[in-house]
Amino acid sequence: MNYLKRAMLYLTHKKGQSLLLLLIMSAILVFVLSGIIIQNAALSATNSVTKSAGTTISVSANRNKMFAKMRSSSSKSKTPTITTPTVSNEKIKKAGKLSTVAYYNITNTASVNASSFDTVSTSTGSQGMGMMKGGKGASTGNISIEGVTSTKLTSSFISKEDKIVSGRNIKASDANSKNVVIEKELASSNNLKIGDSITVKTTTSGKKKIQLKVVGIYKAKSTSSSMPGSDPSNTIYTSYTLPASVTGTTGKSSTVTYTLEDSGKEKATTKKIKSIINSSSFTVSSNDESYQQLLQPMKNVQSFANKIVWLVAIAGTIILGLIIILSVRTRQKEIGVLVSLGESKLHIVGQLFSELFVILIGAMVIALLLGNFVGNKVGNQLLAQQQTTSITTTAKSSDGPGGAPGTQHNGGGMHGGAMMSQASTSSASQRALKTLNTSISPSSIMKLGGMGLVIIALAVCVSSISILRLRPKDILLGE
Amino acid sequence: MLTVKNLTHWYGQADKPLYEDVDLSFDTGQVYTIVGASGSGKTTLLSFLAGLDKPQKGDIFLDGKNLKKIGATNYRKHKVAIVFQQYNLLGYMSALDNILTALSVTGSAHKGERQYVLDTLKRVGINEDDAKKNAQKLSGGQQQRVAIVRALLVDANIVIADEPTGNLDGENAAMIINLFQELAHDHQKSVIIVTHDPHVADQGDVKISLENREFVVA
Repeated sequence: MNYLKRAMLYLTHKKGQSLLLLLIMSAILVFVLSGIIIQNAALSATNSVTKSAGTTISVSANRNKMFAKMRSSSSKSKTPTITTPTVSNEKIKKAGKLSTVAYYNITNTASVNASSFDTVSTSTGSQGMGMMKGGKGASTGNISIEGVTSTKLTSSFISKEDKIVSGRNIKASDANSKNVVIEKELASSNNLKIGDSITVKTTTSGKKKIQLKVVGIYKAKSTSSSMPGSDPSNTIYTSYTLPASVTGTTGKSSTVTYTLEDSGKEKATTKKIKSIINSSSFTVSSNDESYQQLLQPMKNVQSFANKIVWLVAIAGTIILGLIIILSVRTRQKEIGVLVSLGESKLHIVGQLFSELFVILIGAMVIALLLGNFVGNKVGNQLLAQQQTTSITTTAKSSDGPGGAPGTQHNGGGMHGGAMMSQASTSSASQRALKTLNTSISPSSIMKLGGMGLVIIALAVCVSSISILRLRPKDILLGE
Repeated sequence: MLTVKNLTHWYGQADKPLYEDVDLSFDTGQVYTIVGASGSGKTTLLSFLAGLDKPQKGDIFLDGKNLKKIGATNYRKHKVAIVFQQYNLLGYMSALDNILTALSVTGSAHKGERQYVLDTLKRVGINEDDAKKNAQKLSGGQQQRVAIVRALLVDANIVIADEPTGNLDGENAAMIINLFQELAHDHQKSVIIVTHDPHVADQGDVKISLENREFVVA
């Protein structure tokens, strides 16, 4: 009868003790597995967040430089003019082809006057504040034309502030067309529907008329407009090429927002885009606020799970070690008998290890049955706590003056930092993981088994020292 | 033959040895009884003979080969069997499994061993039902008989017993002594019994008394 058979005989004879050890080891392994599961779920969520957080890099006018230029020109001429710098669409597209860029949205803005239709006016009225959009435009119209690559990629549509209610979005294929998406109030007050044409008049000296085709109608939730004093219904979305042709900067654009494939590559991509744009008139800035907001809870959960795994493993080893030391002391007579028969100490330790190994298998089965449930509960509780903390912290920081610069509407300089920050926070909150996807993977089982083996090996080694160091006579006399 | 040469041992101070330069020899086919007062060093000598401990000085030889060369574990495994006063059976096994374990550990297992063990146990008055009972549920006399059968079957040439009848009544003690004599005379083993019971001591073929730190062979 070898030591493996002896181990089985011992376990079946000492049912109470075996059951107690099974319960203790199960409790240890349930927590270790929960920790591993939460760790894995947080890690995969972190990777997913890194890929889908939508960190953006904005290329927009360097306002300091723009105003400095205006001041220097005003000293020479009586009328100060601000010229918004532009960059060629080729450079923008080249940067858009970088492997780390998921997609990009070019934004151009122009101001025109309604011709074949009436604008929507609000009771607060309009002071007709001057706007300076487009390459040469300093004049102001009553309609704001927001040119974009795609309305789907525009922040107000992403945050659901604006929503298509009829027809379709503006797409990249609308470039060089005169297709537009108008606001629902503007459409209903002028009895406009999909397929209708409207005419606008440029504000430049030529007062050129442009016929536009309505391909979509959107509804604006917000009462604020990109043109202060104007109703948001007077904003028309179109392809980025149209405002450029209105302002006489065809083939060029003033603002572009690149959304990254992988938020982790933000710094490297910013550097590459800077070198492609290669103009001091532009600032290239990144906004990974939502990435950080999504990432932080994951990192906290991951770190907590890591601590659970280590603490439970260490505590488990100590507890098991102490139990086995006590158990070995009560088994000194048995060990002495085996030693007197000529059994090697290695086989005696092997028997102790085998007993614990059998219990480990049982405990692993219990842990696999309960671990997912516990891991799911604990992980999601942790995630919920972490996200509440993270959103509260972000909201507080967003309340402060300034905030991050606007990312997608900077061309017009209308959407301020705080507003964009709120949009970003809201977007991040919407995209934030509500639950951790906890599941037991084969690697988790392997990891658990590995840790379980290490725990019992350490416990057996620690407890065996007291036996291995004794002479056979002392073992027999010690009982 | 087991030979002890120049064996000297002390606890604590070397100038106060338990015994000094002891020379003894134990032949096969004989029952040796060692008697002496409590604390005289009988069990200590037995632990040297059983390979459970090493003396401070001197050597023990088995058939001319030094025990140090044979190795204590190897010696205990293949050459010697020990019977204790407390029987020392493994409590979580049956009597049968105790013997089968000993056979496995000492490498004495062979085909049909199970039936052979049951037959041997039957010869010493332990039937199959008792043999399959947990060892701790047997009486003291039965447990000691199981321990002796274990010593008999492990193919060891030397059987060492420490107060084997200490916990037994007269009838059981007599049965156990008979078994030891059978081991020596019929199975040609060298049986060494440490006892403080003069009646048991008288039943040996050779009686060794430990008096005043001297071994006297009667």
